[in-house]
Amino acid sequence: MALLELASSLLLAPFSVLIVVILLASFGKSFGIRRLYVRMLIRLFEYGRANIESAIRKDSVDRGNEIEHEIGEQEEKTIKLNLNSKDKILPKTNGLVNKSGQNGHISNGTSVITKESLILVPDKAIQTTTVTTTTTTSINHKEQSQVISENNNEEIKDDKPRDFKLDDCFEYIKSGMEAIIEDEVTSRFEAEELKNWNLLTRTNRGYEFISWKLTVIWFIGFLIRYLFLLPLRIVICFIGVLWLTICTAVVGWTLPEGDLKRQIVSITLIHCSEFLSNAISSVVNYHNPENRPVNGICVANHTSPIDALMLMCDNCYSLIGQRHGGFLGILQRALARASPHIWFERNEAKDRSAVAARLREHVSDPKNPPILIFPEGTCINNTSVMQFKKGSFEVGGVIYPVAIKYDARFGDAFWNSSRYSMMQYLYMMMTSWAIVCDVWYLPPMYCEEGESAIDFANRVKRTIAKQGGLVDLMWDGQLKRMKAKKEWKELQQEKFAERLKGD
Amino acid sequence: MGNKSSLLLREEEIAQIQEDTGFTPAQIERLYSRFTSLDRSDCGTLSREDFLRIPELAINPLCDRIVHSFFTDSNDDRVNFRQFMQVLARFRTIKPGKDNKLNSREEKLRFAFKMYDLDDDETISKDELLNILHMMVGANISQDQLLSIAERTILEADQSGIGKITFEDFCRVLERSDIEKKMSIRFLN
Repeated sequence: MALLELASSLLLAPFSVLIVVILLASFGKSFGIRRLYVRMLIRLFEYGRANIESAIRKDSVDRGNEIEHEIGEQEEKTIKLNLNSKDKILPKTNGLVNKSGQNGHISNGTSVITKESLILVPDKAIQTTTVTTTTTTSINHKEQSQVISENNNEEIKDDKPRDFKLDDCFEYIKSGMEAIIEDEVTSRFEAEELKNWNLLTRTNRGYEFISWKLTVIWFIGFLIRYLFLLPLRIVICFIGVLWLTICTAVVGWTLPEGDLKRQIVSITLIHCSEFLSNAISSVVNYHNPENRPVNGICVANHTSPIDALMLMCDNCYSLIGQRHGGFLGILQRALARASPHIWFERNEAKDRSAVAARLREHVSDPKNPPILIFPEGTCINNTSVMQFKKGSFEVGGVIYPVAIKYDARFGDAFWNSSRYSMMQYLYMMMTSWAIVCDVWYLPPMYCEEGESAIDFANRVKRTIAKQGGLVDLMWDGQLKRMKAKKEWKELQQEKFAERLKGD
Repeated sequence: MGNKSSLLLREEEIAQIQEDTGFTPAQIERLYSRFTSLDRSDCGTLSREDFLRIPELAINPLCDRIVHSFFTDSNDDRVNFRQFMQVLARFRTIKPGKDNKLNSREEKLRFAFKMYDLDDDETISKDELLNILHMMVGANISQDQLLSIAERTILEADQSGIGKITFEDFCRVLERSDIEKKMSIRFLN
């Protein structure tokens, strides 16, 4: 008897923990637990920043270097301004760098040079000689990140043909050197640099030993993250996937087709996504919910596989992508049971028209949920938006642009697929503080008369970049893996030759 | 977690590079971080592929010559940070009153001259000039036209009548050209 009682109480304990966990995960969001947690973290980072600042200031006073002192004051002012805004849970600044060329100060992550010469681009229409002051990111999401002003160098005029001079190639040499020092593209495939340390080892750049207090905080944070949060999150993830499979199976098989089913599926999927998002402690701020997509195609900038999860916590989408095995495959199959998704085989992917046909078919039924597409085709590090592939813009119909911007202070969501596998990536996500992001629903856009698919794609890209405060680049995201195309160099040669013609 | 080489530069190295090139310590550290981010294989040196991975450089018609300029002092086809900085130093703006060892007007011109002088024999022959022209215009101008351009350029520059351009000829032709502006990059402090 006693043994039985012992056994049952032993089993009961983890079971009740499980129930508590499930309850917390389901209701955690409505109690605002995660947001409270994020607020506490911000205060912690503030403290850490002040600590580092004072340590640097002590050093710099010893060295007699005044510049960093000024930076410290400026940063304090910026942070103070942001903490005063009580209505926002998170300040608009995401702790990333923005020092424009105006004040000429440099802190981690900004430009080393002011680019003055020819910026070479792979597009014929846009290639001009300009003076560009580049900043890597902007504090205010509404600011344009690139300022282009007219070149007033008299010597370089693109239209007049003239004789070859020995110093004609100097501007190309200079441009090449500037590209070596700093370029727009290669930095997009690596995790962003943070202005201030967020107490994670992985973002530790040279803050080897600042002070005892900081090290203690870091250590406590380390313990909390790895010994408390990580196991909790893994359990939630496991249960979440199980729950998702069960729910979608039940809903998909038992209900008859119709409007009611669609509504229930939508509610179920949103609920399951919220449950799963607990596994990474995500806090998402949705802006402009009046523009929430109802059908058609939804396009967004791509940073990580988690993007889909972030969006699905608020609205039901159909997904499109290659069929995977493993963890993703389980999710794909589960989802496919409940609502229409487009999963294609790898070899089908090469047959663009087949995929496009299925896309068109899905979009033509206005009752289908909006289909979520990431036109960049690959993960970019959330500081810029790279070239949109025109495929989804040729289908016709309405496009709902969505801008997603992560706050990298709490955990960098970018998946560097050439460096980390999916499992490593998930591990990193689950050991970060949290994933915090802003999602802006933008008003629907339609293809205009006489506008080509490429122009339309660029127009949508510009809108998304502007809203998210990201740099709008025309470079192809595939440059992550591939080399620059020969045609682009030939374009440059053509432009130079045009200047010489008339000889 | 991070695989990036987190080797910080030692103080002596920074001081040495500052002495050689004139960059400030802050600039040196920024450029070092750029160097390490280009160094994908994390071995402390760069190869030509590491440079050509930069798309804006790869589409530059003169990319091969520019990359080659880093490897002139290298034995094993790799560039270390010192050599990297030595080349970049030539593009610093000329500071009046300060000692411009590597970035004087003459040094800049010499660097540009080396771009043309493919075989390093201190002269630019017609073939070398043709080679550069070909790199710059690709297939867009006929061989004959390029030949006439090359011949005319040499004729105008060559004072000693040897049919090639020497460094003195080069400097003389570009006497009035604003080299300070064309071959200098504005480094922020």
